[in-house]
Amino acid sequence: MAGQQGAPSHPHTATRPVGGALRRVADGPAGEWIGTVVRLALAVVWGWAGLAKISDPAEAAQAVRAYEILPESLVKPVGYALPFLEVALAVLLVIGLGVRIVAVVSALLLLTFIAGITSAWVRGISIDCGCFGGGGTVDASQTEYLQEILRDTGFLLLAAWLVYRPRTKLSADAWLAA
Amino acid sequence: MSEKNRDGKRTARERMQEERAAQEAKARRNKKLIVGGSVLAVIAVAAVVGVVVQNNRSKPETPVAAPAGTIGDKNLVIPVGSADAPSTLTVYEDPRCPACGAFEREFGPTIDQLEDQGKLFVNYHIVSFIDRAVPGKGSRYGANALGCAQDAGHFRDYHDVLYRNQPDETNDAFGNKATLIALAKPIPGLDTPAFQACVNDNTFGGWVSAVQQDFDKSNFKSTPTVLLNGEPVYPKMGTEEITPANLVKWVDAANQGKTLGTPGTNGQSAAPTSTASESNNPSPGAGG
Repeated sequence: MAGQQGAPSHPHTATRPVGGALRRVADGPAGEWIGTVVRLALAVVWGWAGLAKISDPAEAAQAVRAYEILPESLVKPVGYALPFLEVALAVLLVIGLGVRIVAVVSALLLLTFIAGITSAWVRGISIDCGCFGGGGTVDASQTEYLQEILRDTGFLLLAAWLVYRPRTKLSADAWLAA
Repeated sequence: MSEKNRDGKRTARERMQEERAAQEAKARRNKKLIVGGSVLAVIAVAAVVGVVVQNNRSKPETPVAAPAGTIGDKNLVIPVGSADAPSTLTVYEDPRCPACGAFEREFGPTIDQLEDQGKLFVNYHIVSFIDRAVPGKGSRYGANALGCAQDAGHFRDYHDVLYRNQPDETNDAFGNKATLIALAKPIPGLDTPAFQACVNDNTFGGWVSAVQQDFDKSNFKSTPTVLLNGEPVYPKMGTEEITPANLVKWVDAANQGKTLGTPGTNGQSAAPTSTASESNNPSPGAGG
């Protein structure tokens, strides 16, 4: 979808600064291959996160409840829907359909997670983020808020790349555009 | 004239080109809208399907089947001791929780004694949340086996044996049903085909989940959570550290001037483990 027309690269006239060269790589076929790798990496993240939470609905609900943010009436709907949502994102990323929209939704979801973890950290409650299953209250010595936030920020960068360059090789989008 | 005609021709051609370009742009836009709309629809449907599917899959908060003799409005609580005892000890324990094992090994004999003296009515909530944090099924299978033992009228003895043979938290020995059945062998009358079937079929799995969901919704976050007449006493009551002697002292203080409950084992079989010290019951793997 969208994306800028890939400018033909001229390696023999590459006298512009490195930034320009990088941009040309990002815009060219190499960039589309990079995009494919990023897309599949993000798919693995969502697939793993979703499947890890899908088996035990009560556990998923408790992971949500432990944040002490949502009212009890929303705890189960969110805990139940989230793993399926994550798996859907994974599937869409694997087939490469609507990559930019999927990347935007991914980024919004990751920003929500980062905000939730930060909120728990700031409020001084001791929980596991439940990002890849598990979740709930843990001993104060076992919280890993910084690692969890950094990890999610890394995933956010993957999503951001795909928002910026949604055109990727081996994607349904490319096939539809042809 | 001819000038004008050429102009007209050109504009017509331009118009056609523009039209075609506009149509192509429109087609592209439509394609984008269709793809974008479908993708958002897929995401929304996935979320709705998730709520419906998980709702159907999740075990009810009120169990369909609960072990015989359980109490509370949803039959989630296993009672031990005389119900008319003046003091109540509420205990939330997970079969795999090491601190629960330590608590039971230190306080089990004292609690059994207080029960048999009619001083203390104990309400056990057998939760199973360690399985979520540490891979395995030992919490859930262990809790089910405790439910099976309760159903057979041997909860107290089996509970004591289980905690005395508790593996390390990361070792999922209780996730092996054969181990849970083998641990019933020293308890007279428990190791029956009915008990074995109950353990093997995970008969009270739904009840185990309901007990855990009740704990999830409570304000208690860790195990063991121990309350004496509703007041937290573990690891401390106020500033005073819990010890077997202090527990007896606190119970006696709370019971002062009140009529004690019916003494005796109150339906729980009096195995050697129930009132005496640990040394009476050599158990494999207790490891001193």
